[in-house]
Amino acid sequence: MSLEQENLKKKLAELLAWERRKRWEGIFISTLCAALALAIAIAPLHALLPLGGLRWLMPIALFGALAPVLFYRQRWSLQDALRALARLDKSLALDERAVTAWELSGRNENGGAAQLVFKQAQEQLCQVDMRRHFPRRWSWPAYLALPLLVLWFTLLWLDFDHWTLDHRRSPGPQTLAHRARQYSRELQEKAKNEGLRESLKLGQEIEKAAQKSIDNKSADESFKKELAGVAKKFDDRSKTGAGQETFTSGASQQSLRDLKAELEAARDFPQLGDFPKGSEEQTRQWMEQLAAMPQLKRQLDQAERAGQGPGQNQLKSFLDKLDQQVTGELDRRALIDAQQYLQQMMQQGRGQQGENYARSGGQGEEDSAADGAREKNHSNLPGKEAGKKSDETSGLPPFRADASTQIKGALGAGESSALFFKGMPTPGKTTVAQEEVVASYRRQAEQELNSERVPEALKETIKNYFLSLGGNETKNERGQ
Amino acid sequence: MQSEEEIEQRIVSARRLFNEVKAEMARVIVGHEELIEQAFIALVCGGHCLLEGVPGLGKTSMVRRLGEILSLSFSRIQFTPDLMPADITGTNMLTDDPSGRKVFEFQRGPVFANIVLADEINRATPKTQSALLESMQEQSVTVGGKVHRLENPFMVLATQNPIEMEGTYPLPEAQVDRFFFKLLLQYPNREELGRIADLTTAAPPPVLREVLDGPGILQMRQWVREVPMAEVVKDYAVRLVMSTQPQQKQGNGSGGLAQQFVMYGSSPRGLQSLILAAKARALLAGRPNVSFDDIRALSLPSLRHRLILNLEADAEGISAEKILRELVEQLAEVP
Repeated sequence: MSLEQENLKKKLAELLAWERRKRWEGIFISTLCAALALAIAIAPLHALLPLGGLRWLMPIALFGALAPVLFYRQRWSLQDALRALARLDKSLALDERAVTAWELSGRNENGGAAQLVFKQAQEQLCQVDMRRHFPRRWSWPAYLALPLLVLWFTLLWLDFDHWTLDHRRSPGPQTLAHRARQYSRELQEKAKNEGLRESLKLGQEIEKAAQKSIDNKSADESFKKELAGVAKKFDDRSKTGAGQETFTSGASQQSLRDLKAELEAARDFPQLGDFPKGSEEQTRQWMEQLAAMPQLKRQLDQAERAGQGPGQNQLKSFLDKLDQQVTGELDRRALIDAQQYLQQMMQQGRGQQGENYARSGGQGEEDSAADGAREKNHSNLPGKEAGKKSDETSGLPPFRADASTQIKGALGAGESSALFFKGMPTPGKTTVAQEEVVASYRRQAEQELNSERVPEALKETIKNYFLSLGGNETKNERGQ
Repeated sequence: MQSEEEIEQRIVSARRLFNEVKAEMARVIVGHEELIEQAFIALVCGGHCLLEGVPGLGKTSMVRRLGEILSLSFSRIQFTPDLMPADITGTNMLTDDPSGRKVFEFQRGPVFANIVLADEINRATPKTQSALLESMQEQSVTVGGKVHRLENPFMVLATQNPIEMEGTYPLPEAQVDRFFFKLLLQYPNREELGRIADLTTAAPPPVLREVLDGPGILQMRQWVREVPMAEVVKDYAVRLVMSTQPQQKQGNGSGGLAQQFVMYGSSPRGLQSLILAAKARALLAGRPNVSFDDIRALSLPSLRHRLILNLEADAEGISAEKILRELVEQLAEVP
């Protein structure tokens, strides 16, 4: 091989290596752009990832998946080498000497004509710096890569992927397990807030079963079986104490809650701990504060009448016992509600109406606080088919005094299929003082005011109304 | 094996000779530089040319002068409808030998020359035209069962008039295909016309110098065939010829023109002439190898007469030149 031929081969190899490198850089940037664009496109699916942090690795994963394909499809070929050499010939006006020399060199031709081609090509190429002569020319993906990277980062930083998923998820149909999980979380939250241990356990059990069903993607029917097992497990616990006649058993849900709130407040009285050693003044202060707690006062009065009134020394233990009874009763009722919901789920599977009913049941009788009030409640439990009644609706449930009772069944035209009634009060003179009623309603109003359901602008008005109501009563009392 | 210096010397020599031919021709022929170059290329490639142009453009003059410069024997045959094959090839004549016996002696026709000008070839009958077939292809004439070799180098330069088609016999495709090039003579421009007037109406025509002889041309033919050509350039020529075929799929660079207007594309002989002519052009330009430009420059004279267009092309006034120009424009050098 002549010196010219050797130099020429090196020069052409240098050119081809440079062109190959540019090609790889181009493919790398194109792949990066494609990976970023794809990562942005599939951002709403990030919630399917087992770990939230993996979404930050999505472009790398996509790059890893795309790169082999793109690098293989656009791999360096003989045609690419020929194109590069033809471009070199064109740019230096070599009349195809470079490409001819490259081919002759590949065929190991050493004839005079070939040597002449090598010589003439080498003469013109020896001074050419390939990198300067063919500089990098970035194509549009190179300019797009950075904006795409910034866009992707911004979207993830702003949790766009979560937002879109939530947005899409909300109206979509849910499986039984999903709905059970949602309900169980609500139940657990409620149980934690109110200190209902059994309800909390039940909520945890339901969530565990629902999560297992979601993870295994098992059918609704198999989940129903699991749910039945959970319901049966807690069936005995809900019946425990149902037959016991305590002073809290006949109380309404709201009354029990009021009583529990008052018990909590009573614990905060600073002098309560020192009550047995208290003076007359302290007793008087205690009684004044007790007057603002109608439910507690009523329980104390009932205990007095039954001859079980606590003395000053037993008041603390009486309050503790009362607190346990109230909590237990609330827990029991929550368990019953939850079991009703589970029962309903097992019977119905899906159904928005049933869900609404169940939700209302799960929240106790919160919305049915007003005595004698009738409230619409969508339920598809009874009367799924027109003209048919289920066994549950064959007879009216027993009415308890002052306790809410749901009457299910077709009620005629309209979408309402359930009514809440409260039993008629016991005949005779009312035992509830007027201030007690006002205080109860005020508390309810304050509770509602603290919730989001009351518009901000109306909160003050409502508060003032009940304050004025309480004030008038006070004035009336004073007037009398 | 030739050394590098010898090849270089050969290229320089060929280039110099060609430049001298061009310079001598320029003394008597005004314009037509490209035509002269292509005719010379055909000569050094061993091909024949079909010249087409209206009367008075200097076709005959150019051929005659070329013969003079190249120191080659020249003969002219004026084709007419009553011209017989024997008038071209020659015939056996009954003559007396020295002993007084009657013997047949072959009288050579005008085809026995280095350069034969077949003037207005389309005016003769197909039978007479066909008499040229064997001589053009085989460089020999068979008369009375005896084969007579023609002179070497041998070149037929046939002319035809694109107008006055009445009473003419268009050349059969087989015969047209045997022409290496088909060259078109264009009408001279104003400046050239003035120079023609000066040249032909003032002093008597100058005596031309003999630049090249027969052996020199044969030598150059050998050189032409040794010019190296890259595979990618050859592939370009192949793809160009293939793109003239109507049965080729669209998207091969033809843009569908061949499918629409061409009935029959170029024969393999078209590719042979294209590549050989490109090698000759490279040699005469002083280059050791063939370039894409050589292929492009010679695609029209090599292929234009090998494309048989359909009726649709005729109706729309689409010529073979137009199709070839578009094919060349659309075809990528490296696919």
